[in-house]
Amino acid sequence: MKLTDMKDSFSEFWSEFSKEKTGVVGLVLFFLFILIVIFEPILLPFEDANDRWRDITYWADNSKSAPPAWTNWFSSEKKATTERYYEYTTNEQDLGGMTVMEYTFDYDYQFDDAPNDIIIHADATGAPLIIIKVVRPDGEEVEVYNGSFSAGETTKDFRLSVDNNSRSILYNFGVQYENRDSLKDVKAGLIKTTNTLFAKAEEGILRDPQALKGDYQIVIQSIYMGDDDKLENPYIVMPGKVSGVLGTDSSKRDIWTGVLAGVKWALLIGILTAVVSVFVGVIYGVISAYLGGWRDALMQRIFEVFVSVPLLPVLIVMSAIFEPSIWTMVGMMVLFFWTGSVKTVRSMALQIKEETYIEASKALGASNFRIIFKHMVPLLIPYSFSSMALFIPRAVVYEATISLLGLGDAKIVTWGQILSDALSGGAVMNGLWWWVVPPGLMIAFMGMAFAFIGFSLDKILHPKLRTR
Amino acid sequence: MDKIKMKDDRNVLEVENLKLYYKVSAGLVKAVDDVTFFLRKGETLGLVGESGCGKTTTGTALMHMPTPPGYIAGGKIILDGEDIVPLQEKELRKRIRWEKISMVFQGAMNCLTPVYTIGKLMSETLHEHDALKGIPKFSTNPKTSTRKKNASARELMIKYLNYVGLSEDVLRRYPHELSGGMKQRVVIAMALFLEPKVIVCDEPTTALDVVVQAQIINLLKELKEKLDLSFIFITHDLATEAEVSDRIQIMYGGRVMEIGTNQQIYGKQGPMHPYTQRLLQATPRLHEEVEELAFIPGTPPDLLVPWESMEPPEFSGSKTPHKSGLKGCKFHDRCDVCMEKCRTEEPDLIEIEADHYVACWRCRG
Amino acid sequence: MYWKYALKRLLNAAIIYIILIFIFSALFNVQMEQTVYAQIDELVKQETMQLKDMRPDEIRNWSIQRKAHYYSRYNLNKPVAERIMLRALNALTFDYGTSSLIKSSSGSRDVRIIVMEAIPRTLLLFLTATILDILLGFWLGIKKAQKPGKALDKSTSVITMVVYGMPSWWLGMLMIMVFAYIFKIFPSGGLHATPPPPAGTWSYFVDALYHLILPVITLLVIGFWGRAFLTRNIVLSTLQEDYIMSARARGIPERKVLYGHALRSAAPPIVTMGLLALIVSFSGNILYEGIFSWPGMGNLYWVAVQQNDIPVLMGNLSLTTGLYIIGLAILDLIYGFLDPRIKVGGKG
Repeated sequence: MKLTDMKDSFSEFWSEFSKEKTGVVGLVLFFLFILIVIFEPILLPFEDANDRWRDITYWADNSKSAPPAWTNWFSSEKKATTERYYEYTTNEQDLGGMTVMEYTFDYDYQFDDAPNDIIIHADATGAPLIIIKVVRPDGEEVEVYNGSFSAGETTKDFRLSVDNNSRSILYNFGVQYENRDSLKDVKAGLIKTTNTLFAKAEEGILRDPQALKGDYQIVIQSIYMGDDDKLENPYIVMPGKVSGVLGTDSSKRDIWTGVLAGVKWALLIGILTAVVSVFVGVIYGVISAYLGGWRDALMQRIFEVFVSVPLLPVLIVMSAIFEPSIWTMVGMMVLFFWTGSVKTVRSMALQIKEETYIEASKALGASNFRIIFKHMVPLLIPYSFSSMALFIPRAVVYEATISLLGLGDAKIVTWGQILSDALSGGAVMNGLWWWVVPPGLMIAFMGMAFAFIGFSLDKILHPKLRTR
Repeated sequence: MDKIKMKDDRNVLEVENLKLYYKVSAGLVKAVDDVTFFLRKGETLGLVGESGCGKTTTGTALMHMPTPPGYIAGGKIILDGEDIVPLQEKELRKRIRWEKISMVFQGAMNCLTPVYTIGKLMSETLHEHDALKGIPKFSTNPKTSTRKKNASARELMIKYLNYVGLSEDVLRRYPHELSGGMKQRVVIAMALFLEPKVIVCDEPTTALDVVVQAQIINLLKELKEKLDLSFIFITHDLATEAEVSDRIQIMYGGRVMEIGTNQQIYGKQGPMHPYTQRLLQATPRLHEEVEELAFIPGTPPDLLVPWESMEPPEFSGSKTPHKSGLKGCKFHDRCDVCMEKCRTEEPDLIEIEADHYVACWRCRG
Repeated sequence: MYWKYALKRLLNAAIIYIILIFIFSALFNVQMEQTVYAQIDELVKQETMQLKDMRPDEIRNWSIQRKAHYYSRYNLNKPVAERIMLRALNALTFDYGTSSLIKSSSGSRDVRIIVMEAIPRTLLLFLTATILDILLGFWLGIKKAQKPGKALDKSTSVITMVVYGMPSWWLGMLMIMVFAYIFKIFPSGGLHATPPPPAGTWSYFVDALYHLILPVITLLVIGFWGRAFLTRNIVLSTLQEDYIMSARARGIPERKVLYGHALRSAAPPIVTMGLLALIVSFSGNILYEGIFSWPGMGNLYWVAVQQNDIPVLMGNLSLTTGLYIIGLAILDLIYGFLDPRIKVGGKG
């Protein structure tokens, strides 16, 4: 086919296609997905999510099973969101043999429900002495940490989690304001540390803390005794009660990140499987129809064997046998999906075969190869595209199904993997809807986008069903 | 010279200024554009013309069944004294279709519902039309039990099957079990058995092989004689037309070019309209030596009138005169005796001699 | 005529079934027998724990003997091809052996009983859903075909496309989360409450129905739009046929044309597609049953895979495949029956 022919038929096709509103919407969605994949590095809040999805340490500073941040809009009680603080003022004092470094973070607390934790990071070298205290708006100071940290010669990350570390400190702080009797109900190990820290200093501070809003200061003091001692580049992370665009899961992973990362895999798996399957199916169907006779019959028998295989059970067995990597999954799906187009393609090919120009080509001495690929296959291209578009959602769902059954490729972050974690992480039982809804919704969206495209293509192919 | 004679008692069908247009996204396709003719009782009027001249569309229009997106834009179809154009679908099915006018379709191959037996198809039609005239024993009394009704219906069906030369065995069969010729006969039988006033045959023999064709033609002639029926016979095959029709109507570009008796058109004198003349010339004859096949150069006109070129009245399909896409006589660009007038003004059908009408400037005095 | 066609079709199905059983048998051989070895080792080890008063080398000999005993019992000491053959032949005679890990509800370890028990439960769920699906989809499809391109048709078509890629099990998860945990209206799964009401009583029946509602509705919500869409297309293309125009020309009222001529001609593909969906659901329901803890074939299969229980796996897979193939064959036969062109055949 010449280039000009292709350009003409394409513009003709486009004028038809653009009339189908749903098809255009599908195409727009498709481009959106592509954009997400291209700009993923920029879009991901957690850049290394792809490699470190299953690395606990990467997610350590997040909250566990936190709903999305925007749920705050729907409640009068504002829960703390996950925030990071990088700005501080420095104060350095040289006292002869010692140097005292003071980093002060200003924090304006306006939430009703405190963050889950205050996590303080800094780069430490040597063995600096570290004192961390929180200055409250009511003047009270709480020293949450006092100790030395030996990092040795190489710089190490100092990490203090107030919730883990300062529980008894805050208990003692709160005890001052409670009366004896009410303390009987309070267990020291179970108090909400941060809520207490950010609460009004009054009775009930340990049992039912009321938020004390205002300006707080978090002061990190470090005393250098030795020459190598250093504490630098501090930053504070406060994992909130609500977090991120889509919340977090029970392993503290940001779900929005996971969902975005999953786009490329869904596209890859879906498109690759669909394209290869339809390609194989079309070629198979055309050749079978063209050769005819016993060869056709044989090919049909083989086809029937494949068709009679119940897909999912066998896929499962094969996944259990072979290593579940994304490529083997695609391969296995193609192994069974190719049958989907064969019947239709074969009957179309049989019709084409009867056309006189095929006979004419043969009479002119054209080789079988030429006839099949130059004359027959191009006619099947429109059908192939519509077929491919409609296969993609199936492939994506199959991958998700396999992943949910635990047989997927755990090394990559797919929506199926996220859902699998959700199921085993008790999301359904505990109503963690932000974990369950988004990945599934994305699968549905992708399915919808390609369904729109596929059905619109289909409508163009079958003008009989048009109702304009 | 008079215009076409209507309001004649002998007429069983009168079509006045019929317009059937197809509404498409680009505009209107004027498939049948201001067509006027009549059909007398007991005669066969043949509609002839090239593909796309509007003859089949006229046929479906007479049944008031234009294929969507077609619609009847104007005119009258007076059948048995009643104009059926303004009637609603329900009314048409109940009283008009098949009782007053029936149709033998083109390509009867697919006209019979494949999942019903012939008997079921035929009896269903009978049962739907209770108003049968003059057939004894077929009771229109709803209190009559179904059994009795079925028995008399069965008699009727067998009678007509016999007319077309089929045995009652056919009633048990499914359409795909019958040959093309047999199916065509069944279709003819069904078109007849309610004894409608007008029967429209749309290319009834085109899809059949020559031998069967001849049989069907003879059958139709026989039935016409026997039952005193009135046919409209649509075809593009001039030879068949000559065999069957009493009067012939030549259509081109959605308009009537000439109407004449069989003798007037096919006889020694020959037709008067240049188009008809060329048409007959183009038919190769067995007994003549022909070196070159005669043909009419050019192609039939494009009947599409784009929306932009129309005046407002067009949209509502009123009967006011309009500007059409092609000016003048529809045939003028292919006519070898074309005059200046032909290019600008469209000629009306005028009676040149008794029962002979021509729409041509050249043919008037 | 029809009987010839039917016979040919059934024979075809049988051959394919046999081929597949052999393929499966070979598949299982590849990897899963590793676990059988491991299980035997475990077993023998446990047995040696029970031994008293034996010297180490005696124990060793004894365990080697025991292992050999088990190997021969599970045919592991025969050559590969023979093992595949044996397993396949057993499967063909529906002898699946016994499971060492799973029990049926009556306590039996006979794989055949275990699997047979699960089949009706799967059928209960999916047959119910499919029947409702066909009925609803049919009804809506006809409505859409009557006014194509208008509001109802367009809006429902969009909904069809929206749910096209939606996994039924995901919707199931959502439904359970909302209706079973958040609003505690329906049970979160299973076929019966624990403990189940006494068998055969009215409350047993109602209890099952109660458990059926959520899974069936979930299936319907996703499924019936597709059915309606398909029905609409088939009916529409049927309405374009010449014989419909012919029927209208004969003055047949529209109701009869639609429900008699059109539908009757369109029925074969619609019905068969509906049943096809049923048959496919039969094999693709593993995850779905898992989500709803529904004790059917799918769930059983899953449990067997997780525990590497080969006898149950083989039995389940064979029966599933068998039902699948027979289902496809019966489908062809039904289609042939409904379409007189095939049923009666040939020209008169």
